[in-house]
Amino acid sequence: MSEPTGVIHDIGYQRYTGPRLGRRQVFGALYLHGLRTAFGLGRSAKAKIFPWLVVAIVTVVAAGVTAIRSQIGEVVMTYAQFADNMSWLVIFFAAVVAPELVSRDLRSGVLPLYFSRPLPRSDYPLAKLLAMVTALWLLLGAPQLVMFLGAAFTTGDGMNGVWNELLDLLPGLLYAGLWAVVFASIGLLVASLTGKRAFAAGGIVAVFLMTTPIVGTLSIMPSQTLNELAGLASPSTLVQGVGVWSLGDLLITGDAAEASHSLIGDFGPVYALAAVLLVAGCITLLLARYRKVATR
Amino acid sequence: MSTVSWITARGLFGRRRFLMLFPLPVVLVLLAVLSRSLGVDPGAWGPPVLVGLGLAVVLPVVALIVGTGVLGAEIDDGTVVHILTKPLPRWQIVLPKLAVATGVTAVTVAVPIYVAGVLAHSVRLGLALVVAACLGALAYSALFLALSLVTRRPVLLGLVYVLIWEGLLGNFVSGTKVLSIQQYVIALADRLAPSGLLETTVSVPVAAVMTALFSVGFTVLAIDRLRSFSVAGETS
Repeated sequence: MSEPTGVIHDIGYQRYTGPRLGRRQVFGALYLHGLRTAFGLGRSAKAKIFPWLVVAIVTVVAAGVTAIRSQIGEVVMTYAQFADNMSWLVIFFAAVVAPELVSRDLRSGVLPLYFSRPLPRSDYPLAKLLAMVTALWLLLGAPQLVMFLGAAFTTGDGMNGVWNELLDLLPGLLYAGLWAVVFASIGLLVASLTGKRAFAAGGIVAVFLMTTPIVGTLSIMPSQTLNELAGLASPSTLVQGVGVWSLGDLLITGDAAEASHSLIGDFGPVYALAAVLLVAGCITLLLARYRKVATR
Repeated sequence: MSTVSWITARGLFGRRRFLMLFPLPVVLVLLAVLSRSLGVDPGAWGPPVLVGLGLAVVLPVVALIVGTGVLGAEIDDGTVVHILTKPLPRWQIVLPKLAVATGVTAVTVAVPIYVAGVLAHSVRLGLALVVAACLGALAYSALFLALSLVTRRPVLLGLVYVLIWEGLLGNFVSGTKVLSIQQYVIALADRLAPSGLLETTVSVPVAAVMTALFSVGFTVLAIDRLRSFSVAGETS
């Protein structure tokens, strides 16, 4: 046997010794990527169809409302009422976005890759949740900004009128945030249960749609307490109940104000508590779900 | 029962996720029983339970999950190739799958809506709702089966139809009701058992003709699409 003649050349491979980005950057990257995914940015045109369809519809509605107000002077809907009137589109948007955010990762089995980074278990679902909340809030908030700009430029009272509009707008944006938090936490929890986007979308819609008629039925029961608590049965009426309690006349205008008070009676704080519990419960379950998924 | 329909049925029921279908009908029955036992006027609880929950939510959502599941799930998994490469005419693939989807949807919806209909008015209304719901299940299933062949995102497109077309536009623009399966079902049920609980603007002949047209048209479309079906990867 001859002596081995091969030579190992040093061609200059080096380890990376520079600074490494930490947890915050991982979280930020996940959040930004999630937000871009929600609107299909950086993806094919097919992925943009459904999110931008919803965005287009709400923008057209807001533009129409603004036009009517500036031309005829009639307030069709206030800022806070805008979210209520768009509830079906919010449900659809949640059904589009939530499966994109979590179901794809489950299906393609890339979670071990994420969790091999310096990323605590809870950061992944929280970043996704935050991205979805932001997306929903933008969906509801941006059209309100359109309405505000329309009203601000056509107001008759100068800066005073603009200031009044702004004071109306801010609670509307907060209310949109409440919608976003509640719908995002429920939608994401349902979507995280299955890797199939089709089933996730169906499940989310089933949860939201099924609960609405329950409210309708409970609210005609003979017991008044039951009527006033009926809104608790569905996420959208739960949010509306909190809105009626906290915003009052901003949400309900004119004659409806009397009727609305009997809608939730004196149970306003119960509605607020239920909303907090619902969101906290959903987030807890979401975190528990990812603790289990990650160990698989 | 052909092999294709057997495979389809097993694909639907073999997984745990079909349990997801059960809460919907159960809630329908529970609400009907609750309203009846508390002695609420059927004129008040009938429309929200029968139409608002039964025909507007349970029927389309179950039909959507099942109808897109029978073929769409196989296309997603890529296992549809195994069926397509067998020497079967395409209609022998589409029709058994449509039959399974219609059957599962009809059974899931008909049982609770029969109970609710009997509690609300009479046995006649219950039977009328069953017949109408079965026809609606056929039309919805044909539509969603065809959708799963026309597009890669059948569930979302189906949701656009159910939520935005039937739900949102149906309330504001009455003209869209002429192309809404939900309204056909209501019209047919009302014709079979006039009770005053169901209300629609679509006339019965239109509803009957359009239901038949939806069912046959979309089945033919599905067979035609499957004839020139190209297998592609998951959309990005």
